[in-house]
Amino acid sequence: MELKIGWLYPKLMSTYGDRGNVICLQQRCQWRGIDAAIVPLDRQSEASQFDLVDVIVGGGAQDRQQEIVMRDLQGAKAEKFRGKIDGGTPGVFTCGSPQLLGKYYEPALGQRIDGLGVFDLVTKHPGIDAPRCIGNVVLEITASPLAEELRAILGETPIAIGFENHGGRTYLGNVAPLGKVIKGYGNNGEDGWEGAFYGNAIATYSHGPLLPKNPFIADWLIQTALRHKYQEAISLSKLDDSLALQARKAMFERLDCANLVNTL
Amino acid sequence: MNLFDRIRLGLAVGVAKTVTAIVKSLKLGAASVLPGEISRRIHPHLLPLLFEQVKEGVILIVGTNGKTTTSLLLRTILEDCGKKVTHNATGANLINGLITALLADTNIIGQLNIDYAILEVDENVLPLVLRDCRPRYILGLNLFRDQLDRYGEVDTISLRWQQAIAPLPNNTTILLNADDPTLSYLGQNLTQKVLFFGLNEPDRYLDEIPHAVDSIYCPSCGHLLDYQGVYLSHLGDYACPKCDFKKSETALNSQEWGQILIGVYNKYNTLAAGLLAREIGISQENINATIKDFRAAFGRAEELTVKGKHVRILLSKNPVGMNETIRAVNDIKIQGKSSTTLIVLNDRIPDGTDVSWIWDVDTEKLVSLGGTIVVSGDRVYDMALRLKYSQETLEMNPNSFNLIVKENLQEAIKIALEKSPKEETLHIIPTYSAMLEVRKTLTGREIL
Repeated sequence: MELKIGWLYPKLMSTYGDRGNVICLQQRCQWRGIDAAIVPLDRQSEASQFDLVDVIVGGGAQDRQQEIVMRDLQGAKAEKFRGKIDGGTPGVFTCGSPQLLGKYYEPALGQRIDGLGVFDLVTKHPGIDAPRCIGNVVLEITASPLAEELRAILGETPIAIGFENHGGRTYLGNVAPLGKVIKGYGNNGEDGWEGAFYGNAIATYSHGPLLPKNPFIADWLIQTALRHKYQEAISLSKLDDSLALQARKAMFERLDCANLVNTL
Repeated sequence: MNLFDRIRLGLAVGVAKTVTAIVKSLKLGAASVLPGEISRRIHPHLLPLLFEQVKEGVILIVGTNGKTTTSLLLRTILEDCGKKVTHNATGANLINGLITALLADTNIIGQLNIDYAILEVDENVLPLVLRDCRPRYILGLNLFRDQLDRYGEVDTISLRWQQAIAPLPNNTTILLNADDPTLSYLGQNLTQKVLFFGLNEPDRYLDEIPHAVDSIYCPSCGHLLDYQGVYLSHLGDYACPKCDFKKSETALNSQEWGQILIGVYNKYNTLAAGLLAREIGISQENINATIKDFRAAFGRAEELTVKGKHVRILLSKNPVGMNETIRAVNDIKIQGKSSTTLIVLNDRIPDGTDVSWIWDVDTEKLVSLGGTIVVSGDRVYDMALRLKYSQETLEMNPNSFNLIVKENLQEAIKIALEKSPKEETLHIIPTYSAMLEVRKTLTGREIL
């Protein structure tokens, strides 16, 4: 078996260690004997590159880089990308990427930038002097059917942990939130929701990076990508995640969420 | 200064000195910030008044990496030439820290008798300082991604610097790193006297641009920059293929210069301090003599002997810093002179509360050379996880790479010292607050 991991604009959209999500997916495949190649989806790539990939990862960007990306992701590339997400290709998009997948982004400086409109959400930056949303974040994943499928992998309520650091505030339209904020700001610090979920694509402000400390989400992405590709249910062998478990436990304790301590 | 100002200055200084004495005598701390805070409340324009009194002028040093080492080198060059220098040596680089440092050298009525003040200034605080203070020199080292949790983005910071420096008088001299496109561009757009330093040593190019890179786009037109080669992160020899922006002409030939300590980053620090000293009028001969005898600032490639073991502490606060540290450590590992490394990752305010940056570090390179890696710190498991994902197979291979996870720092230090063979060097790679703790344990005393 093999999996091709598409990585959106690795040079432009990697502000907050989001490479960790790519490393995590690739290693968890390879440790199980599944070949995993990384396909960069950047300015130099042809639109047809999108056809190759089985799972897509996108990270955060600074405003200027975000603008460059949004200008590049037009026409055929935009169509291909939209087609993949609409067609159920799984993906995880953190920080800047959801802004890109949304309807538009209004940066602190400069003009409003149109997004792909795959997710019905908008993002606005309240200005360079407005405080950023920064801190450790804990959320309960509630989006259906993701929550149920994660529960099947995990055996309990899926609680994700991460770190958020964003100036922009995101407001959801007709799209399911990824989950409910337990600790932190989430999309906008107002409505208690975090991220969004559409098709098999996860959009979230939670970096950290997300996957290494929430390995059940990584496994869900791999499993879903393989099922999508080979059209059969594939169950993954279990890996030793004791370090991830300890990292989660330490942070849950610090954030007074010790009741969540057994969750991995 | 009018009479009212003078009285209020005297009062502020008196109170600050009393606070410092109390804090120190009660062993409450280092008194590197509080006296400044209190005296500033008594006299809000204290900092500009103190600036005015520095005879030859104030030197501000800004940049993400290298402030402390560069300041210390410059200070040593100046002092070796008989100048009286004040420096905020404790790394207290916010406004209150600057005030505290200058106050420490005033007499009881607030008069300063020093030739130069070298002040390390936090990236984000520079505009605040320049609002009403007039430095003689500003030295800009580099601008990397660091502690974005507090500060936002590189572009925003550079824009704020530009806006803050532009209105300064024309007798201000600005020294900038030509190899950093953001700073090069900043310098090209200033009306004051600007001098650039940088490398012209293609044999020190990296094989590839590392992942942890911030700025490879033209700051002028936004087009992808063409790099002939990269020395470190995004620092290198570059030009924009679309507009006429290119690396600024440097005021020195780096090939003619030696360097302090180890690593390319310390070559930059050497050139920065050296060029500024030369601009002040210090002879090349005197500068070279100080460079040759230079000893590290605490935690910055500082070397110690502990229980008969040789130890080198390499403060690493961000992806660029840690990549360069790994590069330097690997050079030594390859020579067979080091096999044990201790990494201590904290996430307190001075470290940055967001530790995601460790995933932008090429830890794979450290792991690939094997040996023992001990991890500790507030985020010990995050660091351990990063290292686990740096190896090709899931099974820890005891013959190649041995990971030891110790929450307790004292135990981690103890075991790292034990594991490090006598004739080798133990490398300790801590974040800022971790460095202070490590050093306190190793030397048995506090630095500040």
